[in-house]
Amino acid sequence: MIEELFQIERDAYKDSIIHRIDARVKIAIAFAAIIALVAVPYSTMIYTVGVIFFFFFCILWTCTRLSFGTFLRRVLAIVPLWGVIIFFQIFLKNKYYTEYDVLFSLPFGISIYAQSIEFAFILLVKFIICISFIILLSSTTKMHDMLEGAARMGLPAEFALALGMMIRYLFVFGYMFRKINETLQTRCFDAFDHRLPYPYRLRQLGYTLGTMFIRSYEQGERVYTSMLCRGYGRDSYLFVERKPLKGGEWAFLFISMVFIIAVPLAVWLSSFRLL
Amino acid sequence: MHIPDAFIPIWQGAIYWIIALVFIALALRWARNDMNEEKLPLVAVLAAGIFALQSFNLPVSMGTSGHLVGGALAAIILGSPFAAVFILTLVLIVQAVLFGDGGITVLGANIINMGVIGGFVGFYTFKGLISATKSMPVSVFFAAWLACLIPALACAVEMFLAGTFPLTEGLVAMGIYHAIIGVIEGFVTIAVIYLVTSVRPDLVDTGVKATAGA
Repeated sequence: MIEELFQIERDAYKDSIIHRIDARVKIAIAFAAIIALVAVPYSTMIYTVGVIFFFFFCILWTCTRLSFGTFLRRVLAIVPLWGVIIFFQIFLKNKYYTEYDVLFSLPFGISIYAQSIEFAFILLVKFIICISFIILLSSTTKMHDMLEGAARMGLPAEFALALGMMIRYLFVFGYMFRKINETLQTRCFDAFDHRLPYPYRLRQLGYTLGTMFIRSYEQGERVYTSMLCRGYGRDSYLFVERKPLKGGEWAFLFISMVFIIAVPLAVWLSSFRLL
Repeated sequence: MHIPDAFIPIWQGAIYWIIALVFIALALRWARNDMNEEKLPLVAVLAAGIFALQSFNLPVSMGTSGHLVGGALAAIILGSPFAAVFILTLVLIVQAVLFGDGGITVLGANIINMGVIGGFVGFYTFKGLISATKSMPVSVFFAAWLACLIPALACAVEMFLAGTFPLTEGLVAMGIYHAIIGVIEGFVTIAVIYLVTSVRPDLVDTGVKATAGA
């Protein structure tokens, strides 16, 4: 994950109409879209909502001028683990269906059910589109802007201050992580090498992690001492100046919110009409 | 263990958020009272450090790997379970918002699992064992092991309540997997705390210093 950090920040530093929008607008839209998607019941209604939301996401992503390859790479980095759990759903029964039709019977009493496959698809659609909006948010918003946006939206000062410093140290750790990994590689140390005794591998990893922590802390201490020299004090908080949203940003936020609320509602209401 | 969006219904996610907010408020109170000028960089570094520690893939078995959780480490170094809640909240926010690792609607559940349960289990297991055994390695090992295992079991229960994974299979799979990762987390946490207490004993304030060589 830490390797992605530098690529994400590089993407966030690019320029496009979406990159220039205030972080608060992007945070509000991304969170609203995720909440709306999760709020849709576990039913096939999510297919329609999902397609419309994904179309909306694709329009926004196209405006970012980032490649779809970038998006796919980030999705592929997130999906594997939970993709396996979604895949396993096809063998399981759950409380959302009362009747199950067996599609395939496998040895050891394992069966694949039609309803379970449907449920797995429902989960997959929700999951992929939710992370798409997170990828859109993080790929188009600098970490510092996101923090300022969150502070303006009411994030407690203690969190804002600690998060600000944490983000700074994340990059220090990122560099340390790279350096230490390179050092381990030059010494031909591989934590997954079975020829090495397991306790030895664990001890080396423990010392590596501890070294990384101490070196980063000492780097942090130096930064902190410079902060003290520049007037930082116990009661200092991250200063965030007032920044009203522009007319265009208000309009974009309003239209997006209406869209995000109206689409699931319209699809839900139309399902009654079809019945 | 980072539950993503969609795996827990919105109303259950809201309940977990409310519970998590109570602990976040208590953690904020800890930060206001105890996070002084000296501790702030340590908190920030520890948060970034736990983020980095979670990036290290550790070998488990049969080609699988896992990562550390770090709740016990944070609670032991900073001497309070609320420090773990505060730090893990920061880590989980960054992971969810920047990397999509863990969801937004389920962030409350993830904070409860790794921050609240991990932090409290880790801290009080450590406190109990260090006074009983006087051995830093033993206390840290069991604290870290339990702080990895119990949140995983809680995660399995939450997925069962959400109807997205059966209880028995979830408890067995998560339990076995994290019991193994927990052993690794235990050993690595001992090594990290031993190294930190040897090189920078001033950073640890939970009585580990006195027994570091035990």
